[in-house]
Amino acid sequence: MQIAKTYAAQVDPSTYETFRSLVEAIVPTTPCFGAEQTAGAVDLCVHEYMIWELDHTLALMLGINLTVFPLSAPTAGMLNSGAAQFVAKGGAQDAPCRPVWALSPFSALCPADRIVVLSLLEQLWFDLGLLPPPYQHDGGFLKFIIDYLNRGTMFGNYSEWPAYGTTRLNTPTLRRLECFPTGWQQTGYPGVSSGYRAFRGFMLFIVRDKGGYEIV
Amino acid sequence: MYDADVIVIGSGGGGAVAAKELGEKGLKVLVLEAGAFYGNKKWPQPNSDRGGEWSSSFDDLDVGIYKQIYNRYENNMNDVVSGVFRFGPADRRRAPWHRVLRQKGDIWQLSGVGGTTQHYWAQSPRAFPASVDNVWPISYAELIPYYEKVEATLPVNFSPTTPKEELFYYGVKKAGWRLNPTLDVVSPGFRPNPNAILPPNAELMNPCYSLEQLNEMEGCNLQGHCMNGCTAGPSVDRIAKRGTLVSYVPLALRTGNVSIRPNSFTTKILTDHDPQGGLRATGVRFRDTWTGETGELSARAVVLAAGCIESPRLWLNSALPYNSWVGRGLTNHCFDWVGGVFDEQDLMSIMGLPAVYPYMGQTSGARVDIPGTGVFQVSCLSPGLMSFLTYGFSEASYDALRPPEPGEPWDIRGRVVGPQLKELMMNYSRTMTYLLLTDDETLYHNRVEVDPLLKDENGPIPVVHYTPSPKTLQRRDQLARYACESLKAAGAKRIIRSDTPFAFQLHLESTMRMGFVVDTNCEAYQVKRLFIADNSVHFNGIGGPNPTLTTQALATRTADKLAIKYFS
Repeated sequence: MQIAKTYAAQVDPSTYETFRSLVEAIVPTTPCFGAEQTAGAVDLCVHEYMIWELDHTLALMLGINLTVFPLSAPTAGMLNSGAAQFVAKGGAQDAPCRPVWALSPFSALCPADRIVVLSLLEQLWFDLGLLPPPYQHDGGFLKFIIDYLNRGTMFGNYSEWPAYGTTRLNTPTLRRLECFPTGWQQTGYPGVSSGYRAFRGFMLFIVRDKGGYEIV
Repeated sequence: MYDADVIVIGSGGGGAVAAKELGEKGLKVLVLEAGAFYGNKKWPQPNSDRGGEWSSSFDDLDVGIYKQIYNRYENNMNDVVSGVFRFGPADRRRAPWHRVLRQKGDIWQLSGVGGTTQHYWAQSPRAFPASVDNVWPISYAELIPYYEKVEATLPVNFSPTTPKEELFYYGVKKAGWRLNPTLDVVSPGFRPNPNAILPPNAELMNPCYSLEQLNEMEGCNLQGHCMNGCTAGPSVDRIAKRGTLVSYVPLALRTGNVSIRPNSFTTKILTDHDPQGGLRATGVRFRDTWTGETGELSARAVVLAAGCIESPRLWLNSALPYNSWVGRGLTNHCFDWVGGVFDEQDLMSIMGLPAVYPYMGQTSGARVDIPGTGVFQVSCLSPGLMSFLTYGFSEASYDALRPPEPGEPWDIRGRVVGPQLKELMMNYSRTMTYLLLTDDETLYHNRVEVDPLLKDENGPIPVVHYTPSPKTLQRRDQLARYACESLKAAGAKRIIRSDTPFAFQLHLESTMRMGFVVDTNCEAYQVKRLFIADNSVHFNGIGGPNPTLTTQALATRTADKLAIKYFS
């Protein structure tokens, strides 16, 4: 637990909260579907997965040094700028949650409004000059990342990543599975297998002989 | 005088084939690979320890190390940032190698011995003849003997039927498609996939053998991990799914003439004046990805097989002569992805089974080929990958914000989030999904170039642009209609069209096209003794079929041409 906690503690509270509300809107907690289906992305710490991924994805030369550029904080800043512009233009269906607004405007929106903000961001509907770098005036990269935020959340949630438990934020070679993945349980995936006795015949088969072949 | 007869840059779908063919001709071959070598005693911990430098012996291969790394967990294997399968250095503490993509999409390319074939689904169809004859500078007949050689070597056979293929056949037959029992597709129809996967283990259905025992024997055991790391087999060279790491690479090492150096990123092709005029390739400069040290190697010829992005990047970063088509004409099959959710009772009446079992069998086992339009193929994945491809990855925003027009053959188009996503994923085991591959028009504006400012440790980084033509989009839409109609015919209760981002790059082709950058022998027009042996030499997207077999046939042919021209 120590390593996961240490990494999470390095993330600023606004970034952390923004990602928490992002993944909550995409894969929510759903008690209405029964106990096994209740857990959502926040329960599985998928926001930490997204922060880790964005902070380890980009390395470029800065002068003579290869430098890692963490993207989670500017990405949270971009979502919060979108949320603030959305509310300023009167777009929110529900009033934003005021106590949360100072920490993260995006998180202050209801889940449905968060999705609308994502949609408007990928349509480049907002003033891109108000977004933080590297998204400022870069609509192409903005479209790429908004799409990534959706699929990355789903991959984190429905893959085995949450089951790495206390080792989930280690360097990948040091992660260890601690339980059966919740997302696999929820989908009825039996886990990795050494085979299935599922053979039901051949529609066609190639027989090779003396340099030639025949389809039977 | 030279370090080798031939240097091969890249050990993926094409480079490994060229190395094996040249080695069998008695030529001394050095292969440089940017990523890791999995399943080799010289690198017992390839993702965390530098290990050795070269492997030259078949006896170096070690299936125990291979199976330890290929552990079949989807996030561990296929996370594009930090997975075993990524385009990046072997050291998984480090970030991947970046490509600039300023649009929705992603690039599924892998570094490492075997390249992207490490996670490809082993589909090995030939090109559509109509997309080659009178289009390419060479004929389809010219390719046939090379197709046959590669098909026999891998080997390729038709996919077995498992529940999802049975359901697929049921649907496409009801939708009016007919069986097409051929490898040379000239008319529309369905067939099992010609796959580079060993036929099922003869004892698979024999309960006297445990699944663990079967996994140490030869033959596919339908474990469903084509993409997450196939482990079926007794030794590296007999693993069931025939990526080049387990097929052509062992054959290359068996020749005794081939040495492979992983963890070595080629940063420059070295040239000299050719006595007959112009330039010729004389060797390469490379960078050790663990130590940062650079080295140079010389050879009488160089085969460039770094893939559709890195091959043009290396040309440009090596300052080879200007050619307006280097990096241009990128095709990508402009994919789409559809899914159908079935009721248990319908599945019981069709197959006598309560589910589709998307995780059983070869990842993709059957297809409908439609020359002039493209291909759709049943393709089912583990839940993490399936969830994002089906519900999280779209050119079309969110379904709830823009529901489809009434009368469309899909009920959902675009991303699904919130409680509806949870509910749909509860039906994962009763969902059948298809990948759609479009006959993609070749356009000059689709391209790979290098960024004027951004660099990584290997030089200026690639920028990839891809925007399909109206004709390509029309074909893609037609494919989606055909595919969804067959799902409907099979009885699917809800049909989802993801509307995949155009720049989801799986089948990159034609960025160093034959007739523009290379001649019909695949030798560069402007640099003698430099041959290219990856998807980039394709003249076009071959009509929609998966490109690997065509690259492998061409690499076999290129090795012949190279040997005749410079070593006979």
